[in-house]
Amino acid sequence: MSTLRCLHPATRAIVPIRCAYNASIPPAAQFHNSPAVGARIRTTRDNNRNRGVSAIRRKYPKDPLSVSKVPLPEPAKREEKQPVTVDSDHGLYGFFADSGKVLPTPEEDVQHGRAWSVEELRRKSWEDLHKLWWLCVKERNILYTQSLERKRLDPGFGEYEAKSKDREINRTQRAIKHVLTERYYAWQDAKEFAKLDPQVNLTGHGPAYNPMIFEESGAGRKSKKYKQHSSNKQVA
Amino acid sequence: MVSPSQPLFRSLRRLALTTKMVGKGFYKGNRTGSMGRHTKHGGYVIDWNKVRTYVAPELTDFALKPFVSREIPWPRGRFPGEEQGALSGRLYLEKWKKENGEY
Repeated sequence: MSTLRCLHPATRAIVPIRCAYNASIPPAAQFHNSPAVGARIRTTRDNNRNRGVSAIRRKYPKDPLSVSKVPLPEPAKREEKQPVTVDSDHGLYGFFADSGKVLPTPEEDVQHGRAWSVEELRRKSWEDLHKLWWLCVKERNILYTQSLERKRLDPGFGEYEAKSKDREINRTQRAIKHVLTERYYAWQDAKEFAKLDPQVNLTGHGPAYNPMIFEESGAGRKSKKYKQHSSNKQVA
Repeated sequence: MVSPSQPLFRSLRRLALTTKMVGKGFYKGNRTGSMGRHTKHGGYVIDWNKVRTYVAPELTDFALKPFVSREIPWPRGRFPGEEQGALSGRLYLEKWKKENGEY
């Protein structure tokens, strides 16, 4: 009796999962935790199939499982395994720094600038702010990956530097939100101003902006009058 | 009189709220927000208007970085003659006319 045959049915059912990559052996029948069809049903004194089964005392199920008849596949040899090909341009690489290092040194981590100020971001377009936001998100994702790695390796340093870098990126994100909120309120206020402005057309038909120019009318009187820019090009 | 000792009581206060501590209608949630509604049969109907979508922009050839050089001084906003500052709708309209106004 081979070692594998000695294994209990429940254990044998688990083993094939580890060698599932061997293609030369037919895939094992789907695992069911129920007795095989046609198998002898064990009779217990109270018809309890789980009688005598205990995880604590290492007593496995006594009924043969549906996979019990399936021969165990042999694990594939290491040489026969195909090398795993990975797309070098995979999106998941966005979670890792370009340096290719698992963890940056604290000296490398502190070499960053300050956060964007609100005043600097006020001059940026919506597209730029949107892109900058996602750039911050990606940068922080890299830091999270590194902090997981730091937890695993436990070098005992670098946490403070990484955290202060993360805080600095967070300040940039906060400034972006600040600017967008400001812009929204200014836009609402501007809409009220535009209602009173004769040069702005809010009807949705025709050009939204009709710039007008001042024109002197009458010889002696200094009254000023708005004139349409488009209809009086010679005046301009 | 029998009462719990004070330090123990204080540390208990720091535990998370449970449904046993508060009244009916307490919804603790798990900070995710709903993505649909429950049916009366116990199912769940996903409302695709509630499902989060993230519009990620194309970041190639994007020159900006999350940081600015520390050599650059921290600028202050100047809004001459405008009490509201950056919230001013008048400045917004002027800027729009200058940059985006189509004519």
